[in-house]
Amino acid sequence: MNSKERFYATIERKPVDRPACWMGMPTPTAIPELCKFYGVDTFNELKVACGDDFYAVEVPYKSPTCSALYAAFDWYMNGTNVDTEHRTLTADGCFAECEDIEDVEAVNFPWPDPELYIDPEECKRLVDEAPEDKVVIGMVWACHFQDVCAAFGMQTCLMNMVAEPEMVHAVDDKIVAFYEKALKIFLEATKGKVQAILIGDDMGSQRGLMISPALIEEFVIPGAKKLIDIAHSYGVKVVYHSCGSIVDAIPLLIEAGVDAIHPIQALAAGMQPDNLKAKFEGQVSFCGGVDTQDLLVNGTPEMVKDKVKELRGYFPTGLIVSPSHEAIQSDVPPVNIKALFDEAQKIYD
Amino acid sequence: MSKIQEIAELVEKGKAKLVGKAVQEAIDEGCEPTAILNEGMIDAMAVVGERFKNNEIFVPEMLVAARAMKKGVEVLKPYLATGATGALGKLIIATVAGDLHDIGKNLVAMMIESAGFEVIDLGVDVPIEKIVECYKENPDTKIIALSALLTTTMPSLRDTVAALNGEDFRSDIKVMVGGAPITREFAEEIGADGYSEDAASAATLAKELVSA
Repeated sequence: MNSKERFYATIERKPVDRPACWMGMPTPTAIPELCKFYGVDTFNELKVACGDDFYAVEVPYKSPTCSALYAAFDWYMNGTNVDTEHRTLTADGCFAECEDIEDVEAVNFPWPDPELYIDPEECKRLVDEAPEDKVVIGMVWACHFQDVCAAFGMQTCLMNMVAEPEMVHAVDDKIVAFYEKALKIFLEATKGKVQAILIGDDMGSQRGLMISPALIEEFVIPGAKKLIDIAHSYGVKVVYHSCGSIVDAIPLLIEAGVDAIHPIQALAAGMQPDNLKAKFEGQVSFCGGVDTQDLLVNGTPEMVKDKVKELRGYFPTGLIVSPSHEAIQSDVPPVNIKALFDEAQKIYD
Repeated sequence: MSKIQEIAELVEKGKAKLVGKAVQEAIDEGCEPTAILNEGMIDAMAVVGERFKNNEIFVPEMLVAARAMKKGVEVLKPYLATGATGALGKLIIATVAGDLHDIGKNLVAMMIESAGFEVIDLGVDVPIEKIVECYKENPDTKIIALSALLTTTMPSLRDTVAALNGEDFRSDIKVMVGGAPITREFAEEIGADGYSEDAASAATLAKELVSA
């Protein structure tokens, strides 16, 4: 099987020769050590060297105030988007003081138009750089729930979801409309060349959901569903990311049409592979599962291999083997990443 | 239902706009202000914390309850003796140097404040020196609470606790730690006095530490 065949078989939970595997997106501080270990110079060479089945492409976005789609909104209306002072999710956003819909409108937020800042030619160029046999995954993120939290300030937003939901919906609708348009531009420009997108919103903590399933259904799922439907209309699969324990939200994501759940935060409550298999076997695929909170950081290569073996036992198909968080940190020894790939790529009898 | 029970219910449901009026009515009816605080609000928040711990309610519901309590305390404060709202003492809280995460830390701060502590929140990415300096400005502090979310900032948590352990004032305070990758074993290994896995347990732990 080549990477694409393996990916589609995994998503459709059909037999695979061995699991598809994805390194994720290591942090910039982690990449040099990984490159050195594998004896390569660039991240793309690294992916080839370790046998990654995926080639991730960030949707290119360039506005006067930022150069990343995930930072497209200037929630502090100070022209910096991601300034250090406001880097915490809980800093007040420009809608913090709003008490009703009129207040929301009075903010007069400069909603960006993705058409102005996403160059279809650049989308095409980036995707064309992917090796022919790799699965191209568009890193769209489109974290509309996290964005709306930042727009108000997280605590204010969460309280508004309970006490003043219409204000949250008003801002969220605009955010989702932005991402819908951005996604269409990306997929139209790269038609037939992208196999998957990654979207998501962090909804879980180590021990459970941050917001109730009812609030997820009201505030997260409708926006996600719109994006999923667009992706599916282009024949593109959807990998949905949320950190933390989201086991109680997975049924909602399945209903919305998600193809694979990422990243199986292995040590979070209820996210153990046996529990996920028991609850969701045959309904959705998974991506992740190799713990980054302890195992990959502190474990030995043998322990990592044992974990991959265990995961393969639970999921002979339907699992993309990957670290339990896409952003591998610099404290993960490269030898453990190699162990992950080596065991995942073995063809078992 | 007694007026105090009514206040407790309003706090639990997060009815910020109604709590103030109910507190005023309770005072007008002759209820003891400390009883309103302890039974109507602090006990109500303990119930909220327990329900949060059991995954019966989630962060938004906990936040609106804390906001409702705050509104009630605003009305109650002129009728209370000075210091009654932070009767359990001062607690300094911070996310350690190198770590910018504060959602969990903020929830812990909120629950601890609701339990009756005066919380001094130093924010995120806080260097050791700033924590020590804050203690020296507030030598009546009872607890220093530290948070780290990333495996890469666990060493920073270790360094911060080690630095506190080397201070002359260490025997006068308790140090508690938490954060997603932190375990009880790690907390013990680095020399902290306590660890808790969620915001509600953190409030319980803080109370235990000051009563020990």
